Amino acid sequence: MMVVEKNVVKKEDARYPSLLRDISDAPKQLYYKGEWRPELFEQCLAVVGARRMTSYGKKVTEQIAGEVAAAGITIVSGFMYGIDETAHRAAVRAGGKTIAVMPCGINIIHPEYQADLYREITETGGLILSEFAGNFPPATWTYPKRNRIVAGLSQATLVVEAGERSGALITAGFVRKYGRKLFVVPGPITSPVSRGITQLLKGGAEVASCARDILDSYGLPSAQVVAAPNPHALHSDRGNLEGNIVRELAREPLRIDELARLLGAPVELLGTTLSLMELAGAVFEEQGKYYAH
Amino acid sequence: MLTKVFSVANSGMDAIGIDVEVNVSNRGLPGFDIVGLATKAVDESRERVRAAIANSKMEFPQRKITVNLAPADFPKEGSSYDFPIAVGILASTAGFSVPEKSVFSGELSLDGGLRHTRGALLIALYAKERGFQNVFVPAESANEAAIVQGIKVYGFECLEQALAFLLGRESVLPTRRSKERGRRGEDAEFDMSEILGQELAKRAAEIAAAGGHNMLMVGTPGAGKTMLARALPGILPPLNDEESLEVTKLYSVSGNIPPEGALITARPFRAPHHTISQIGLIGGGQRPRPGEISLAHRGVLFLDELNEFPRSVLEALRQPMEDGHLTISRSMERVWYPARFMLAASANPCPCGYLGSSRRACACTPREVRNYRKRVSGPLLDRVDLHVEVPEVDVEKFAGNQSAAKNAEPSSAVRERVAMAREIQAQRFGGEKIFTNAEMKNAHLKQHARLTQEGERILARAASRYQFSARAYVKTIKIARTIADLGESEAIQVSHVAEALQFRPKTYEPE
Repeated sequence: MMVVEKNVVKKEDARYPSLLRDISDAPKQLYYKGEWRPELFEQCLAVVGARRMTSYGKKVTEQIAGEVAAAGITIVSGFMYGIDETAHRAAVRAGGKTIAVMPCGINIIHPEYQADLYREITETGGLILSEFAGNFPPATWTYPKRNRIVAGLSQATLVVEAGERSGALITAGFVRKYGRKLFVVPGPITSPVSRGITQLLKGGAEVASCARDILDSYGLPSAQVVAAPNPHALHSDRGNLEGNIVRELAREPLRIDELARLLGAPVELLGTTLSLMELAGAVFEEQGKYYAH
Repeated sequence: MLTKVFSVANSGMDAIGIDVEVNVSNRGLPGFDIVGLATKAVDESRERVRAAIANSKMEFPQRKITVNLAPADFPKEGSSYDFPIAVGILASTAGFSVPEKSVFSGELSLDGGLRHTRGALLIALYAKERGFQNVFVPAESANEAAIVQGIKVYGFECLEQALAFLLGRESVLPTRRSKERGRRGEDAEFDMSEILGQELAKRAAEIAAAGGHNMLMVGTPGAGKTMLARALPGILPPLNDEESLEVTKLYSVSGNIPPEGALITARPFRAPHHTISQIGLIGGGQRPRPGEISLAHRGVLFLDELNEFPRSVLEALRQPMEDGHLTISRSMERVWYPARFMLAASANPCPCGYLGSSRRACACTPREVRNYRKRVSGPLLDRVDLHVEVPEVDVEKFAGNQSAAKNAEPSSAVRERVAMAREIQAQRFGGEKIFTNAEMKNAHLKQHARLTQEGERILARAASRYQFSARAYVKTIKIARTIADLGESEAIQVSHVAEALQFRPKTYEPE
């Protein structure tokens, strides 16, 4: 017996996203969770990248995806942990919209520990999409299938960090095939998650160094984004140490130990100062390293 | 002829006097029996005593020999009754009277030699307490027994020598208390100055040592977690006389004092492997023996690779950690062992160990990392106050950089600050039955760990930002108290609170 799915949009349906319909291998139907609003598909940017992102990748994704989403562009990605997850979260946090395309049946949350994100996406007017029905399990061949939808839905795609032979490169392949725009964020050439990026750059991908680069191609002005506090302004009158810390961190993220050696300050003083600076929002810590905002 | 010799048995940390009654009778068939709830090891004593006497140029009497170990309802175990039994038999055949107010203990070897036997200190303490004057033990155990002053300790190499002494043919001088005291506190395996870099982790170790806080080190393999843990005993204040005796007694009871060994003056450091059984760690067994946690009493218990320990084993740590001691009940006896130790644990950030490493990419998925971290027992993490990340150190940066090595503080300097902070705590808690900040309960916190207004404000802000549980809140205050003590400040200032925040759980959080 066929289960009649209520939340499904067929290819023949007028609501079916036109950009997606354009691609040669467009899915016959899209199952969805959330509220289907056609304007969601008007302007989309796919943001994809490595699962094992670096702190740099995370920071850049949060910044660019957040700003782009705030400007009213829907962020499309694959719900995987790493860059995908970060892009979704950044869009939600910026008050923007986001679409997650699943590699599995519409009733499955994969990975299941990101259930909170799943809920947030639908609660903030975003969509969960899949061409697979019910409890169809994810498999190695469903990921590339999913990637073609991510690329197909979007006028442009941004790749942040990608290793060799990564899913992000597969998505980039679809972007080329469909003749859409491809942006990449350059990273240090020494990093393993930069290898895919340099490959794409050599193939003619465009460099995105800020949200402006992307918004220009959509013909949009920047949104009023709440600017991160400028650490220099914040601490101009507070002790020399804070200024020195910010100066060092702006160059490169560092551990407390490294800062202590560089600045020749006792570690207990640095610990105290960094804690206070983090609470004031001037720096943040991740996996033991401190970053300037 | 009936001879009575005194000996001592132990039940946990308590000593029990044992009367060894030896009856050598001319009537009845020749034989040799031991009665009085003797276990296998004691029963085997017959063969050792028989051979030892024969090999000591003496004749073993071909008569009916009955040995009774009284009180007869207490189970006797071990080999320490060899010596008193042999003395009892020889008293009948060689015709000497056993000296009064004397205790005998020791294991015989077949050639008549006396071997190092566990419990010598306990025996000497018992002897002194009960008004005995002489303690006769194997020579190798004499140093241990001679820790107790006010009684005469005689150590003998072999049965023949003991016999010569008892017959008055040879004089043996009582063993004097060994003057050679371990270089206190300086016998840790590593000195802090030998550890390059790791400034934050060293500071964490100092705070942990000062406040008696349990600590967890998280970092990639080879970062130096084990080295730091091994340096810990060296920055703890030296054992005082009372503590020394306590530790030595525990080691004596469990047979962990080496031959010729005397008073233990160095803080114990125990690092059991993660394959250890629950009984091995906590103590127990049919005849309850102290486990690693008791052997770490007044010292450091280091659990390397915390995730690899079975959950059940870790969860058994809970009660003794709370109580500072352990009671084991068996049908025949109930024993008590102290177990007040500082816990230092180490864990990898993820299964492959390289999460956050700049040298090698981590090969774990978030799911694997989550499951790996969940393996650590929550109740155990609850008892860890201080978390610190130990990053890998770029050794090349330090190679040839003599100034970095020179700048590193030696353990002795850190130990002085720790001792000072402990002194402050001792004065603060005088008469409150706790000694360190780590032991503070809510009532103590209210009384002794008041934050300044500004400190309160910063802590409140941190609590909402990092979503502190009530427990995490309290732990931060405790650590801030210790940091203030290290800075010899009565009030807990903002700076103390802020530094304490560095040591909040970042990777391993109790659920």
